[in-house]
Order: sequence, then structure tokens, then C-alpha cells
Amino acid sequence: MSFPRIYSIHDQALTIEFSQEISEESNMLVIAFQHAIESAPFKGFIESVPAYSSITIYVDVDCDLSAIKEELLNLSMQLTAEKNTDKKNSIIIPVCYDPTLGFDLPWVAEYLHCSAEEIIALHIQQIYRVYMIGFIPGFPYMGILPEKLQVPRKQTPSMKIPMGSVAIAGKQTGIYPAEVPGGWHVIGRTPLKMFDKTKEPCSYLNAGDMVQFKAIALEEFNQYT
Amino acid sequence: MSITILKPGIMSSIQDLGRWGFQKYGIPIGGVMDTLSATTVNRLCGNEDGEAVLECTLHGTEIQCNETISLALGGGGARATINGEPVSYNKLIKMVSGSILKLHPDPYGCRTYIAFVGGLKVNKELGSASTYMPSMLGGYDGKNLIAGDTLELKDPSLYKEKTKDIVINENGFGSSRWKSSSFALPHVQEITTINCLEGPEWDLFDEQSQAHFFSQPFTLSAQSNRMGFRMEGAILSLKEKVEMISTAVTRGIIQVTNQGNPIVLMADAQTIGGYPRIARICADDIPLIAQCRPGQKLKFSGLRPVEIV
Repeated sequence: MSFPRIYSIHDQALTIEFSQEISEESNMLVIAFQHAIESAPFKGFIESVPAYSSITIYVDVDCDLSAIKEELLNLSMQLTAEKNTDKKNSIIIPVCYDPTLGFDLPWVAEYLHCSAEEIIALHIQQIYRVYMIGFIPGFPYMGILPEKLQVPRKQTPSMKIPMGSVAIAGKQTGIYPAEVPGGWHVIGRTPLKMFDKTKEPCSYLNAGDMVQFKAIALEEFNQYT
Repeated sequence: MSITILKPGIMSSIQDLGRWGFQKYGIPIGGVMDTLSATTVNRLCGNEDGEAVLECTLHGTEIQCNETISLALGGGGARATINGEPVSYNKLIKMVSGSILKLHPDPYGCRTYIAFVGGLKVNKELGSASTYMPSMLGGYDGKNLIAGDTLELKDPSLYKEKTKDIVINENGFGSSRWKSSSFALPHVQEITTINCLEGPEWDLFDEQSQAHFFSQPFTLSAQSNRMGFRMEGAILSLKEKVEMISTAVTRGIIQVTNQGNPIVLMADAQTIGGYPRIARICADDIPLIAQCRPGQKLKFSGLRPVEIV
């Protein structure tokens, strides 16, 4: 298969796929594409939906998809990956790793044959890329976790994961913006709201953001309102 | 000028044509399941297509008007009465203050749409009045309607001009002599045929699954909701196991779970999914599948992919 590949998922939506892998390089192309198209939207453009290695463009119902397809393909050829790894631009997310909040820490520690402290140290040492927002409103898919922190998803998803839970699964780490069922392992909790319908934008994070976690004590966590 | 929900029935909510522009934050488009019937009732009322309407699933809904109002019913899944007397779908209706509209069981269709002349007064959230329960967005406090909810209408006097020719009968209502033509509206059959195009991962499915998908009947499972319709029937499998990378999905996409069951994504579909997409329903047939209820038999028919994309 050759990339970029372009196909429609709806009469009003075209997907441009840069690769079929989770890589920083592909996601940088996705974000560069998003910025290019949103800074100079063509007539009939509605919205773009970035994912790991693809971006989907929604257009008005009366748009000529074949003409737009040509334009998008041309644009995708001209792109260069947007680098955004500057440490001072990364967004700091406070996380309390107290085992009462990060209730899966003991399981993860046992699975990885290391201590909870080591897991926390590994989780906060790195800057992560937000690959996309999805699953539920405001949920950031971030990665790539150090290999030493990678654990499989839960066999059976938990029925209720509390709002703000910071969790890991496979190569990814994420934050639950609301109380929902979920299959990732919860290792901490942030007091920040990842989704707030009254804010502009309503999502705390955007695809393409760089994030670093900062460990906070339970007392500090409780001081946030 | 207002209406009161006496009974919500199986499920009733406020919807419009959806919440566009926020999918990059993980917010589904949502909105009415059957856009064709919803647009039709709005046009019957002289409203804009995007005006908020009530979407009532199957039957049981009871609504009382607190003043004389005018409205239109469309879609399917129920028979309607006003003050006990049957009333037609796809007509403009005027009913006097205190009248009660009820939706009764009917064997065909699934969703009734009710539009009001002048429109419902609803606070839009993130650009839309559509109720999205998981995030408590839009509608009536972000929730499906419950008994006792009172909804205000925007323009109290608009109905008078538009319905001046409608004669009120002894049961307190009247309907227009004209109606919208219904041949283009969704009609559910014993076995309803849904036209599809091959999906982005069509080639990953084995030959038998490809053949079964377009020849075997499927049944809409009871495990279906506004997010998606689960289908029971032939088990579909891939030529070989593949690790899919999550990418955008939308209404009309048919994805296949690890167990081999197709799921048709509907109005509240998540923005991103990770299952192989065997097909997508032609946009024109999405209102038709939206009118199918659990237990409905379906056949997917392959349209030759149009070489646009």
C-alpha cells in the first residue's frame, strides 16, 4: 500500500492516511496537515479530525469530493512534519499517584516486577505527545510510553473509572475526562478538568500538544477545587 | 406558550441536525437519527431544516399543549392520536390548548419526529440543541425527556398565520388538507435492503465473509442505541489478524468487532474507532436504517463503488 492513501468514509468525509503505524513522524504530518487546512480553509470545509496517522476532513453536502480529493492529495505531498518537542512548550499536568487514586498501581507494579516509585518515576520522566483526542470528549491518547511501562489492557474493563484518572495501556497513556467504563490501568489522578463544555476550547488538550506529568501529594491534590 | 411531557415513552429527546465542528475534541456529531423525516416535519411547519425537534423512539410518548399550538408528525414507529382520535403523519396539525398527543404501538418504523411551528426554545450547547447524554450536552439539561418536563416554544404567534385554513374538529384539533409526499421518505419492509459501498478495510475480509455480507440477512440486535446498531447474522472474519490503528469513523460506517459481528455506526457514533470497516451505508439510506427497530431483518446490497474516491 502506498501513502498517503485517501478514501471517503461518508459522502461528506475524506480520510488521508499517512501510514498505518503509531509514530511521531506520521502524527506530525497529521498535525501539519490540520494546521495547513484550518489556517486556510477551502470553500465547504467543515472540520478536521486528526487521529494517530490519519486525518479526516468533513465538507458540506454539496461539495465536489473528487475535486477536493485532488486538492487534499496535493497538500499532503507538500507537507513537512511539524516538530514540537521543545521542552518549554510542554504542558504540565499535575498527577497524584497516591494508591487510593491510582488504584491499579499495585497490579502494574507486580506485573512489571518493580516498585510503585519506579513506575511513577518512569511515568513523569518523559514528555509525551498527544496523538489525538477521542473515545469520549476530551480524552487524550498520549504516547509513547517507555517499554518498561507497557502493560496489556485489562481483560475485563472496569465498570467505573473516576473522572481525572490517569491510566496506561500498551504504548499509550491517557486521562479519563468523565466517569466511564474503561479498560486501562489507573495509576494516578489529575485534579484538572480535561473536558469543560463552558470553556473555549472545551478540551484541555489538543492533538499535537506535548505533555509532561508532575507528581503531586494527596494534600496538594485536595487543594484543587 | 409551552408543551408538557406527560410520558416520555420508550425514549424521547430534543435533537437537531447535529453538533458540527467539535469532533477533534472527541465530541460526536449526534443529532436526529433520521435526518429526512426530521427535515420533512420542520418544512411542514415552515421552520428552518436545522430547527430542534423531538425524536420519540417507538411508542408511549404523551404530550400536552398548554396553549393552542401547531405541529407536524413524521417518521414512523407509532400511530398517533390527539384527544383519542387518530391523526395523520406528514401533515400540518393545529391542536387547541390542553389537547393530548399520544404515540401508540405500530409494527413499522422506529422513530417519530415532532416539529413545532415557531420552533422549540432550547439552549444550544457547542452550537447545537442536540441531546448528547454521555456528556450531558444540549437538549433539556443534557438529558432525555422525563414526565413533567415543560418545553417553551420560541414564537408563540407564528402558528396563527400558518394554520388559519385549518378547521378544528370536535376533538379539538385539525390537520391540513395537504401532506408531504411520502414516496421519498424511509419505508421499512419485511426485509429492508440497505445500499452500501465497500469500506476502507473491505479487502482485509476473507472471500466468504465478503460474499456473506452482501447475501445473508442480518437482524438488528436489541443491543442497539443511538451510537450504533449491532447486527446478528453471518460471522465475518479477516483473511489474517491485523492490528488496526484507530482512525476517524462516522455515521453509516459498518465496523466488524473481534467476534465477527457488524456494527452500524449511527448518530452518536464515537469520533474515532479501531475496528475494520467492511462497508459504509450510502448517505441516502441512513434515514432508512434509522427507522429500523430491534428484530428488523436487513440485507446489505452492494452498490458499485463510484470512482470518485
